[in-house]
Amino acid sequence: MDIYAIQALHGLVYGMLLFMVASGLTLVFGMMGVLNLANASFYMLGAYMAYTITLYLGSFWLSLVVGPLVVGLLGVVIERFLLRKAHERGHVAELLLTFGLFYVIGELVRLIWGSNPLPVAVPDILKGDIPLFGMTYPYYRLFILCFSSLILVVMALVLMKTRIGILVRAAVSDAEMVDSLGTNVPLVFMGVFGGGAALAGMAGVIAAPFLSTYPGMGLDVLMDCFVIIVIGGFGSLFGALLSAVMIGELQSFGVLWIPRLALVFQFLFMAVVLIVRPTGLLGEKE
Amino acid sequence: MSKDMVLEHGWKVLLGAFLILLPLIVPEMKVHLATEILVFCLFAIAFNLLLGYTGLLPFGFAAMFGVGAYATALMFNHAAGTPLAVVILVAAAAGFLTALFIGAFCVRLGGTYFALLTLAFQMFFYAVAMKWREVTNGDDGMGVTRPEVWLPGLGNLSLMNIHTLYWVTLFFVAIGITLAWLFLKTPLGNSVVSMRENDERAAFLGYNVFITKLTVFAFAGMLAGAAGGLFVLYHEFVATTAIDSNMSFTIVLMTIVGGSGRFMGPILGVVFFMLFQDWLSDLTDHWWLYFGICFIIVVLYIEGGLISLFSREGLRVIFKRRENNT
Repeated sequence: MDIYAIQALHGLVYGMLLFMVASGLTLVFGMMGVLNLANASFYMLGAYMAYTITLYLGSFWLSLVVGPLVVGLLGVVIERFLLRKAHERGHVAELLLTFGLFYVIGELVRLIWGSNPLPVAVPDILKGDIPLFGMTYPYYRLFILCFSSLILVVMALVLMKTRIGILVRAAVSDAEMVDSLGTNVPLVFMGVFGGGAALAGMAGVIAAPFLSTYPGMGLDVLMDCFVIIVIGGFGSLFGALLSAVMIGELQSFGVLWIPRLALVFQFLFMAVVLIVRPTGLLGEKE
Repeated sequence: MSKDMVLEHGWKVLLGAFLILLPLIVPEMKVHLATEILVFCLFAIAFNLLLGYTGLLPFGFAAMFGVGAYATALMFNHAAGTPLAVVILVAAAAGFLTALFIGAFCVRLGGTYFALLTLAFQMFFYAVAMKWREVTNGDDGMGVTRPEVWLPGLGNLSLMNIHTLYWVTLFFVAIGITLAWLFLKTPLGNSVVSMRENDERAAFLGYNVFITKLTVFAFAGMLAGAAGGLFVLYHEFVATTAIDSNMSFTIVLMTIVGGSGRFMGPILGVVFFMLFQDWLSDLTDHWWLYFGICFIIVVLYIEGGLISLFSREGLRVIFKRRENNT
């Protein structure tokens, strides 16, 4: 029984990590209909920032602050100078632009940091294991769980309780209407895009000591995120949370029970969801 | 024959003659390159039937290519002695059936949904190829031996000779591309374009949008499957690289850079991509970076892709933009 509890915890940790990347993806999609493939690159950049800052400045905590800021800023620049230009040409051009960015950023990472996996040390305070369910569990994973839950709560509060959050949700549901009511929607969008990038970067930073950094990490998380937002429903934040946790658990238990088919499971699951409910579990619009 | 007709058809004859005589002109290394370019031309033309003519962007198009490739490798290894034409037909049929299966789930959806769903199916097939080691040999891939081809009057020819392989590939690719060209001339091919412009209007006019799109998807899948078969014939090897997301993404990049609005656009894209790769990969390990930048420039500034630069309208667009800027 204990092994199941531990495995469930593993799944939850990975699911929450995925959720942090998928949330920016799904919000941006809801607002502008752009599937930002580059979000996975932002996640990877976050992880590499963690590596570099920890290596040269010796503080993981500093990278947790600086990494997301830098990545978020990069997101804002990309939105302002590239995406807005592609916007004039329609959704397919936007999708293709982020697709090109995914390649360029991925190759830049290879150019700067090389192709080998780079380890990031777990900060001293979080080293070691804690006894749990009669077994031991690494502190760091519990930290990921707590930290991402905290981010989730903050995000929910911002979206539900603040004026900015109301604007964002309104823009997700009908950007044109909000624009004609006098709000600067392009500015809101730039903010959300940057925010999504920063969140992905943050996920990258905290993932770095856990999964180590390698150039293929962007693609790996991209595939998982696709599955998550398709299952959860495009534009639905709660759907993304739900399906992120489900995918985390599915992978965790899949590896435990039928390792050979673990990879196949999530795509099968997605196919089943789509046959039963084409808009995803909680998606509304198509 | 009027002068216009000569101009219009003359270049096709010249291009055909050039393609046939190419192996005799260029060094042997470049014949290898040309053979691979041919294979990808067929793949890109199939892809563009969907992107350019039907308005569907399948991000997972390598699924059909890969299934065709694996089908070919299995035929070579387990049914040696089957005539090459039959093997390529089997590859095409495998691509066709795969596309029919995937399309049944995907073509109802449009835009990003369609793009992602096809990608998810491709990943599913990739996972199968990766894990079903008994059949596919997983990561390690399968080596194959090129069969001999029997030609009337010439007898059995070995495909280990790169010139023969080039001509055989050219033969199959030419058939495939001609089929795609003829397909677009049929009423079905025309109705597809109307669906690209407006699904709903086409449905009101009495077209069955689902069946039509599924037919095009399956047809494109058939050509992609054949291209996958030729790919294995050329490489004498198949591995998961033939069915991974990189293969799917590469074909998107090539087609967009060349230009999806014209029939010849993807071909230009493939030629540009392969020559670019051939030239830059000697100089740098990071040639993907430069190609990615080219791609972004095309997406942002050259709407019709590189091929649009070769038309009068394209030149006019560029000059207009300059006038606006000054």
